Amino acid sequence: MTDRAGWQDAVESELRAVGRELAVPPASDLTATVRRRLADEAAGRRPTPGPGGGVFRRRLGWRAAVVVVAAMLALLIATPQGRAVIVHVFRFAGVELRQGPGPANSPTRAALPGERQTSLEQARHRVSFPILVPAALGRPGDVVVSDGGRVVSLIYRRTPHGLIRIDEFAGHLDQAYFEKFVQLSDVTRVEVNGTKGLWIKGPHDLVYITRNGTPAVASARLTTGNTLIWATRQVALRLEGNLGKAAALAVARSAR
Amino acid sequence: MRRAIDDAAAIARARGGDLDAYAVLVARYTVRAHRAAFLLGAGEESDDVVQEAFVKAFRHLSRFRAGEPFAPWLLRIVANETRNVSRSRRRRAALALRIPSAEPSSVAPGGPVDEALAAERRAWLVAAVNGLPDRERQVVVCRYFLDLSVAETAQVLAWPLGSVKSRTARALNRLRGLLVPGEQDRVTND
Repeated sequence: MTDRAGWQDAVESELRAVGRELAVPPASDLTATVRRRLADEAAGRRPTPGPGGGVFRRRLGWRAAVVVVAAMLALLIATPQGRAVIVHVFRFAGVELRQGPGPANSPTRAALPGERQTSLEQARHRVSFPILVPAALGRPGDVVVSDGGRVVSLIYRRTPHGLIRIDEFAGHLDQAYFEKFVQLSDVTRVEVNGTKGLWIKGPHDLVYITRNGTPAVASARLTTGNTLIWATRQVALRLEGNLGKAAALAVARSAR
Repeated sequence: MRRAIDDAAAIARARGGDLDAYAVLVARYTVRAHRAAFLLGAGEESDDVVQEAFVKAFRHLSRFRAGEPFAPWLLRIVANETRNVSRSRRRRAALALRIPSAEPSSVAPGGPVDEALAAERRAWLVAAVNGLPDRERQVVVCRYFLDLSVAETAQVLAWPLGSVKSRTARALNRLRGLLVPGEQDRVTND
């Protein structure tokens, strides 16, 4: 008789691995559509099917109208093209970008939840995604696994560019891992090995988002240097350090 | 200026009619809701399902219990909407899940033969999941493809905890039968 828990674990972990690879078409951005529908509904511009619609409309009518006006003004200010509500919430590879200042930085050394120093080999067993290592930098000086294997960080202390930090996570999955507070003018699109990436010039506020969607207060900090975010099919990466765009892209391209 | 806004704060403000706050939630959970809708069988109607779910969720926000995680609560509405569209349509075959053909560059190191074998095995497993009875397939999607806990799965599918556990066990047993050579008899007996 084989160990029941043993085979169950094996099938379960295979299913999880398969789940990460399933083909799921990209989701459309529904923020603007949903918002418009709700604003119309609240303003009573359209009969609302569904339970409680009428009561809801009467109760919230004027307030929602004010919200709509305020929102339209905000839109006009935020985007001269008047194009998108998404401007202040831009999502890429598990990283959420927002305009404006972030939460107060951690008073002590900022850390991700449950940081554990480990070796590269052990880390490969602790996280559920393949860890990529840039050949251009070689073996990392430190490897840190955080939040029960949700993130792995490779730390390089002595590179020609000084300290470089690479955070890796399964960013193609659902929710956000990091929230960044940037000026959108500092963000440019780049290409890494044929896929899209983002280059963020200069330091910005950064906070880690837990599984529950809550920002981890103790992780809030100002980044150093510049940041590159990119992703492969299974893993998302953010590289942070005092290096220029060309050097960062060269490091990213060598990750395998 | 806008500061970091967590789910609880966004929900509280959305309840008061703040559509900006709700837009934050929509942006934050669209990808996750869409993945759930698609994997639970909404197919090409996934975007519509998610849109409908977000509109309904907003209408029902007063029923959301403060302090609980938003995702399972939202996903229950998504699962319900998905059931509505798949009930009014009977094209299950077209909704089979699949793995895109492997890109060699992103496959973990370990030699081409291992890679090919692993890829084959995964494709086989997906086919097996596609072939599961409806409810067992749903529970596998929730537990392993959407990474929900037993309790969250019970909430999302509106089943008792016990049903989640027993259907998960049955599904795993069936899949094991398909994956482990010499265990095929288990499947036919099941």
